[in-house]
Amino acid sequence: MNGVDGWALVRFAHVTGAALWVGGQLALSLVILPLARRMLTPEARGRFVQQAGRRFGLLTAAVFLPVQLTTGVAMAWHKGVTWAALAEPGYGRILAAKLALFTAVMVAAGLHGWAHARSRTELARALAVTSLIGSLGVVLLATALPAT
Amino acid sequence: MVTLLPPSGSTAPPPHRSSDGSGLRSGHAGRHLIIVGWISAGLVTAAAGHSFPAARWLSLHLFLLGAVTNAIVVWSEHFTVALLHAPDPDVRWSNARLAGLNVAILAVLGGVAADVPVLTGIGAAAVTAAVLARLTALVRMGRRALGGKLALLTLYYKAAALALVVGAALGGLLATGWGAARHTELMLAHIHVNLLGWVGLPVIGTLFMLWPTVLRLRMEDRTVRVARRSLGLLLAGLVLMTAGLLAGIRLPAAAGLAVYAAGLIDAAVLFLTTVRRRSRHSPASVMLAAATGWFVVAVLADLVLMSTRSLHHLHTDLEPVTWLLMVGMVAQVLLGALTHLLPVVLGRGPAGRATVQARLDVAWPARVSALNLAVPLLALPLPHLATVVGWLLAGAAVASFTVLCASVLAERHAQSDEAEPRTFPGRAPLVGGVAGVVLTVMAVVLATTSGGTPQPQGEAVDTAASRTRTVKVALSGMRVSPATIAVPAGTRLVLEVTNQDSMRHDLRVEDGPGTPLLDGGDTARLHVGTITADRDAWCTVPGHRAAGMTMRISIQNTDKATGRSAGGHDGHAAVPDTTSTGPNLAADFTEGFEPRPAVLPSTGEGRIHKLRLNAVEKHIEVAPGVRQRMWTFGGTVPGPVLRGKVGDTFEITLVNDTSMGHGIDFHAGALAPDRPMRTIEPDEELVYRFRAEHAGAWLYHCSTAPMLQHMGNGMYGAVIIDPPHLPRVDREYVLVASQLYLGTPGSSSHVAKMTSGRPDAWVFNGTAAQYATAPLAARPGERARFWVVAAGPSDGIAFHMVGTVFDTVYKEGAYLLRADAPTRGGAQVLDLAAGQGGFVETRFPEAGRYTFVDHDMRHAESGAHGTVRVER
Repeated sequence: MNGVDGWALVRFAHVTGAALWVGGQLALSLVILPLARRMLTPEARGRFVQQAGRRFGLLTAAVFLPVQLTTGVAMAWHKGVTWAALAEPGYGRILAAKLALFTAVMVAAGLHGWAHARSRTELARALAVTSLIGSLGVVLLATALPAT
Repeated sequence: MVTLLPPSGSTAPPPHRSSDGSGLRSGHAGRHLIIVGWISAGLVTAAAGHSFPAARWLSLHLFLLGAVTNAIVVWSEHFTVALLHAPDPDVRWSNARLAGLNVAILAVLGGVAADVPVLTGIGAAAVTAAVLARLTALVRMGRRALGGKLALLTLYYKAAALALVVGAALGGLLATGWGAARHTELMLAHIHVNLLGWVGLPVIGTLFMLWPTVLRLRMEDRTVRVARRSLGLLLAGLVLMTAGLLAGIRLPAAAGLAVYAAGLIDAAVLFLTTVRRRSRHSPASVMLAAATGWFVVAVLADLVLMSTRSLHHLHTDLEPVTWLLMVGMVAQVLLGALTHLLPVVLGRGPAGRATVQARLDVAWPARVSALNLAVPLLALPLPHLATVVGWLLAGAAVASFTVLCASVLAERHAQSDEAEPRTFPGRAPLVGGVAGVVLTVMAVVLATTSGGTPQPQGEAVDTAASRTRTVKVALSGMRVSPATIAVPAGTRLVLEVTNQDSMRHDLRVEDGPGTPLLDGGDTARLHVGTITADRDAWCTVPGHRAAGMTMRISIQNTDKATGRSAGGHDGHAAVPDTTSTGPNLAADFTEGFEPRPAVLPSTGEGRIHKLRLNAVEKHIEVAPGVRQRMWTFGGTVPGPVLRGKVGDTFEITLVNDTSMGHGIDFHAGALAPDRPMRTIEPDEELVYRFRAEHAGAWLYHCSTAPMLQHMGNGMYGAVIIDPPHLPRVDREYVLVASQLYLGTPGSSSHVAKMTSGRPDAWVFNGTAAQYATAPLAARPGERARFWVVAAGPSDGIAFHMVGTVFDTVYKEGAYLLRADAPTRGGAQVLDLAAGQGGFVETRFPEAGRYTFVDHDMRHAESGAHGTVRVER
């Protein structure tokens, strides 16, 4: 109940995972991709964007998602969150909304990968922005959760 | 600009710049995606339910302010270019204006969703600014343009923009609560100016041109004449009606509406005569014709209502007409226009156009039937089931078309990208951004609103038996009366909420239940649950809370509230603060409440006592009708009583089933505290073994810091070690005295009460006044022994029993008085400091009700009292 314990580490992993994912998206879309568009030839750009997207997608599926889900579920369990509690106004409702938005973001991110693979560039870009803004929304809801 | 009108229309503008392809084409696709996005968001929100007004308001405005406004802006700009033969406006500026408008709309919606009226106000102002910017652009376009026969029609768009400026300003006043004083007038004007002005004018204006195109007929020669006459009537009618509505005078308002209706019918007659020249109809023409018909019906119905009802009842009576207009006209025009325009805008060449058209026309007869069947179901006074079916039909029609649109747009988009490299910034980020923001706004709405199920929250528990108070509450004139309700803590509060207003209201309690949306005259019972802390309540219709529709439920001073102090003792003005937040001791315990048995079990034969003691958190009824999550040993407060003889060995296995550290300290044992009294973490256990070398009434308690909180939250109990040769008595009871602190364990307010010594009640055996409700039993002439342990955490006790004299007093290991002592002494109080224990004995002389108290009267009157019922 005081100081740094195991749960602090779990929280740390959860927050760091979120920071890396949202920050990664921001860095990709605000810094790396605009530069790639300006500085690379069309062919190189295409390959670069594809590779960058693939690597970030891999990171998401292999590291980010498992870490977030495990730590998130663990913290909810630790805090005594039940299915019924999710419907209660206040903490439960905010958490439920956050989970719903997170699911929507993950769906958008997944569709982004799919659209990219099918060369539907515009759709992929739109979905990437959706996912980015949605993730910021998740962070907003996370900060709205009462401190524990 | 792409060819909007087919070659057969002789008055069609020449297809200038028709080679300018992909940029505008994909631009159009992007803009239409925004529209489709808003429709989807509206559908999702509508599907989420209309159980609370903010969601209902939100779905309405997602559709009208989001989708319809964007559609009008996008198409009117498009048509203005065509009608005036004007050059295309600068794409960047055009996009910037559109982006600005959408950000402003998001601010309005977000402000209402998150209940931040200031944001709504800023958003409404920004919507006004964006529309003014657009109006300026239209005017400038007109100046630079060549002009044309149909240039007149752009006046419809300009007039509509002015209508939205007024309508948005009115909406801002309503949503922020600044217009509360004239709410009805502003609301009626807001609805009429926006629906008949901002939506109605562009629809009529566009139909003059679009109608012949859709039917593939020549435009009639009198079109321009009719359009001019009609516009004059519509505008004059709108101005007169708006002025009348704002002034709250019915006659000019109705007259204005009549003039507007004349203008509309004038135009509709022209459309009708055009239709008669054609026998075969396209999906678009059918929908546009039906929409025009419903438009006329809606305006006439509105006119009848406005001429016959008082303005104050008009708002609620008008609702069916609003649905008629929304579904029959607005939604249908949107669908019809998209059906016609999307192939024109997106399709490349006749073949491409046909492909898109074929996709959009999938199942159109079913869709159109559903939509038009829904209109009467929604507008007529039918049973609730019919309304539900109506909504399902309308929702299915719009949703199916939205899916078709989205599929067409997505496909076109992809192809245009493959075909040619992009030459200007794509709109994908904007579209994606809109989608992301809409998702986030919906999640925030979900997070900040409560559902329809009336579930009392927190420590309050909702069962039938406790003390209930019903209060009548009236909603009218942007006020909730009474504005404050004061009840004793622990009261189960039921509100009988009546809406005495002409407009709809509801009432929702902070962190608690809410009424459904109430029509004027309707009443709903709201079970708020047990009141343990101050709470606010308010009307959730957007703008009403800001306008002052709030109420406060506050906790009342206990003693004054219950009138428990009988006998003319009016000196309770000096009741200290400590009682002001206390629970209502006169309330009933919840059904099924079992008082803690006070009977002390007899000493067993065994000399070794083994006990497994689990530290658990549990909801316990700590005062009548008040349940609180307590920290316990063994699930009860106090923990189980241990009893033995001098020399007995106790082996206690403490198991920590909580999520925080706990420990235990038995005063009855003498040993080094280091190991047995250590704090164990969750799921750990320890064995505490001690030999009781001394007699006494001992305390045990949690040994983890801060002990004030651990003990104050319930982690204490008693160990009784009989002195040698303890005489047998008829009754033996054990009473553990302690202080009760209401609140959430660990919260700062709860801790502050403990550190400043402000308990909410003083209690015997964990629950205030439980033995007043469930008296202890004895028979006349019986001898009874009362073991008392003062558990604190701060206060001691002066144990006294009214009507008896103690002939034996045993305190802290020594007899202070014995029944057979030659001194013939008696005692009146057993005084124990926090952490001490002892017992007293007395003989009940006759049948009756003997009250036992902590003779510190603050404590007695705040829970530390009980009764022994002595009867044969």
